[in-house]
Amino acid sequence: MDVLDQILPLVKKPARYAGGEWNAVHKEWSDVDLRVAFAFPDVYEVGMSYLGLQIFYEIVNRRVDTLMERVFAPWPDMEEKMREYNLPLFSLESRRPVGDFDVVAFTLQYEMSFTNVLNMLDLSGIPLKSTERDEKCPLVIAGGPCAFNPEPMAAFIDLFAIGEGEELISELLDSVRKGKQRALPRRDFLLEASRLPGVYAPGLYRVEYRTDGAVSKVKPVQEGVPARVTKRIVRDFDQAPFPRRPLVPSTEVVHDRIMLEVLRGCTRGCRFCQAGMLNRPVREKKPSTVLEQAAALVESTGYDEISLTSLSTSDYTPVSKVIKSLLDQHAQRGVGVSLPSLRVDNFSVELAKEVQRVRRSSLTFAPEAGTQRLRDVINKGVTEEDLLETTAAAFREGWRAIKLYFMIGLPTETDEDLDGIVRLAKEVLDLGRKARVPRNKLRVTVSVSSFVPKAHTPFQWEPQDTLAELKRKQDYLAVRLKERGLVFNYHDAGLSFMEAVFARGDRRLETVLIHALELGCKFDGWSEYFNLERWLEAFRLSGLEPAWYAGRRYDYEGPLPWDHINSGVSRRYLAEEHRRALSGVTTVDCRTGDCPGCGLCPDLEAKPSLAGGV
Amino acid sequence: MPVYRMMYAKEGPARYISHLDLLRTFERAARRAGLPIAFTSGFNPHPKIAFAAPLAVGTAGEAEYADLELVREVPVSSIQRDLSGTLPEGLRLVEVRRLGERAPALMSMVERATYRGEARLKSAVSQGALDRAIEAFLGRSEILVQRKNKAGENRVYDIRPGIFAMSGRLDNDIIIIETELKTGSRDNIRFEEVVEAFSTSSELPIEGKYVLYRTCLFSAVDKDNKTLW
Ligand code: SF4
Repeated sequence: MDVLDQILPLVKKPARYAGGEWNAVHKEWSDVDLRVAFAFPDVYEVGMSYLGLQIFYEIVNRRVDTLMERVFAPWPDMEEKMREYNLPLFSLESRRPVGDFDVVAFTLQYEMSFTNVLNMLDLSGIPLKSTERDEKCPLVIAGGPCAFNPEPMAAFIDLFAIGEGEELISELLDSVRKGKQRALPRRDFLLEASRLPGVYAPGLYRVEYRTDGAVSKVKPVQEGVPARVTKRIVRDFDQAPFPRRPLVPSTEVVHDRIMLEVLRGCTRGCRFCQAGMLNRPVREKKPSTVLEQAAALVESTGYDEISLTSLSTSDYTPVSKVIKSLLDQHAQRGVGVSLPSLRVDNFSVELAKEVQRVRRSSLTFAPEAGTQRLRDVINKGVTEEDLLETTAAAFREGWRAIKLYFMIGLPTETDEDLDGIVRLAKEVLDLGRKARVPRNKLRVTVSVSSFVPKAHTPFQWEPQDTLAELKRKQDYLAVRLKERGLVFNYHDAGLSFMEAVFARGDRRLETVLIHALELGCKFDGWSEYFNLERWLEAFRLSGLEPAWYAGRRYDYEGPLPWDHINSGVSRRYLAEEHRRALSGVTTVDCRTGDCPGCGLCPDLEAKPSLAGGV
Repeated sequence: MPVYRMMYAKEGPARYISHLDLLRTFERAARRAGLPIAFTSGFNPHPKIAFAAPLAVGTAGEAEYADLELVREVPVSSIQRDLSGTLPEGLRLVEVRRLGERAPALMSMVERATYRGEARLKSAVSQGALDRAIEAFLGRSEILVQRKNKAGENRVYDIRPGIFAMSGRLDNDIIIIETELKTGSRDNIRFEEVVEAFSTSSELPIEGKYVLYRTCLFSAVDKDNKTLW
């Protein structure tokens, strides 16, 4: 009698651990040379909504010599049962212990999931530190946006994959397979793998610090290890490996629909945005490819909704044409289209109108800052007229609820900019009243997050506001945004503070992570689990000061802990962008054909590729 | 529009699909199978799929029922074939029948269900001891369990009148309990409650927990065949 069948009825949402979803791949363990566990350091519903998982699952399972199975972070109730019954972390497909796999591949989407990675290693019986793992241990690799500043996790990950992984994963697996055949000792293998473009083997680098604790140098300890690791990109995005038979969960997940990526990269150049810098150059899929893939996905999943995903789908050149064709082909079967993100313009309202047959849900726009001055600082090309016209159009078209996203704590921000948020919100509310939206239905939600300076962005040198200052700003807004029809939401400033620490952190933070794990910090992205006090305790125990990391201003000339990771966007360009920001000068979008010279295309021998046509 | 009654099993990983998720799972499977599902009209259309009686998450079902409405006639044999090929692991279509015009709603038909619970024994138990434990359990004039009412308050509830039969047998170190319970929208007796109460009162040396199965659902009319056809 399976012990799992005894435990699962006792935990919340047991479908998270049951497997057996439609399109799950079950390969014979003994038929392949390499077994990879894809490990997502958050709960099932979040991990299953990550398109990258579906892509890697397809690539690795399509190969005859490899298999991939999935594992997610068990929710604390399940973890408790697993520890009680001595059940190691297991994969969903074959229910084998994660420790039995050859490779465990984590994705680092979010700084605050780092302790979940550690906890999953612990639940698998894999030593936390790379240096403590022996030949029998799986190789622990990690990728994703947080791998662009890998240093806080350097002690725990054997190899980082920098940038897009579609091609790299296969090269890496080839290398692992050969290493295994030749019975290469772990360290020799890491040395060999570090020569693959895009692979960073942190154990082969030494970090030197200045007397004040700042990193002064990260350099290879051995001949042949690259001094800088450059990110990988897929040049032919149109033909990139694509999951035609994605997993369809049997329980509701965050994005419970077809996720069809139409565009990669965003070149609008918002200066706080890490995704915009990391995902260059911009590459669009051909409309014919999108339509063909959509048809295959409707068939293979049975979903009733196709979401056209990207960082900014209204920027996809042929977007209207593609939406129209998709609706023509699939609407009569009850399959709709949705757009995850909208630009602040009338065109986007038109698109939303086209895809939404019933206008119930709210529309979301992100002006990010309350005044034109500050929007110029962050290079958010949205004007007040844009916002007011767009929201007026949305109200006219029958929407009753509008969500506005703002950020506080941006460089150069003053209380006047906060007043600007209040004023904009009230003006939008007023437009709703003028459009005669029923009073009890009219809702303008102001959602405010705190600025977190991120590596590889023009604001990477900027300090974050102190925690006290962020809280003061939140209160400042809260008292001024009290009005019928206005809803004010804000993110926990303590969480943003911790994010800022790890986003620009260095290797010394490894001790903090270990202490935090011992103190029970996990699932910190979930407000019910985040506990700032515990984190501060972890810092005290490690003898480190979190504010030193979050609130520091770096100088242009000085070294940065992530200097050895090359995102393709040059440091010179980021510094230039930073200077322009401070003097309020905006920069054009390179998709228009004007290249402001971020350095990526010449450095990576790539170029923007647009699908053309409207 | 034509309605088809399906008898299916919900086992393996599918036993953990919640009642709410099961609707979505069938909807997607039907769409993959290319079946023309009928939808309710109105603001928030949902597929016209109706289940006989919710099954607790984690309890397997060996003969469950659902009615599926389509917008046009489809031969029973092709529903059987196509839908069988698109259900996720653990959901197995046993039989499909076309319903007559005036067939009563599934939900209103269900009156009783039979269940089976299996557990591993820590130490041997004789058949006689097991029989005596069951006899003692059924001999009680009331069996009180705690339930939460809609307001979330704890209420004491007597489940004894809803237990119609119970027996037990042994298969090496596995103990198997079988029972017939009142089921349906009124006075529903949950098998977990019965197993829990029995485990507490009988004190048999069980290791871990019982694994639960619902073996059939039936109406008062078809007590002998035990089906909902
Ligand atoms: S080099 Fe120029 S065209 Fe290429 S991504 Fe950078 S800004 Fe855009």
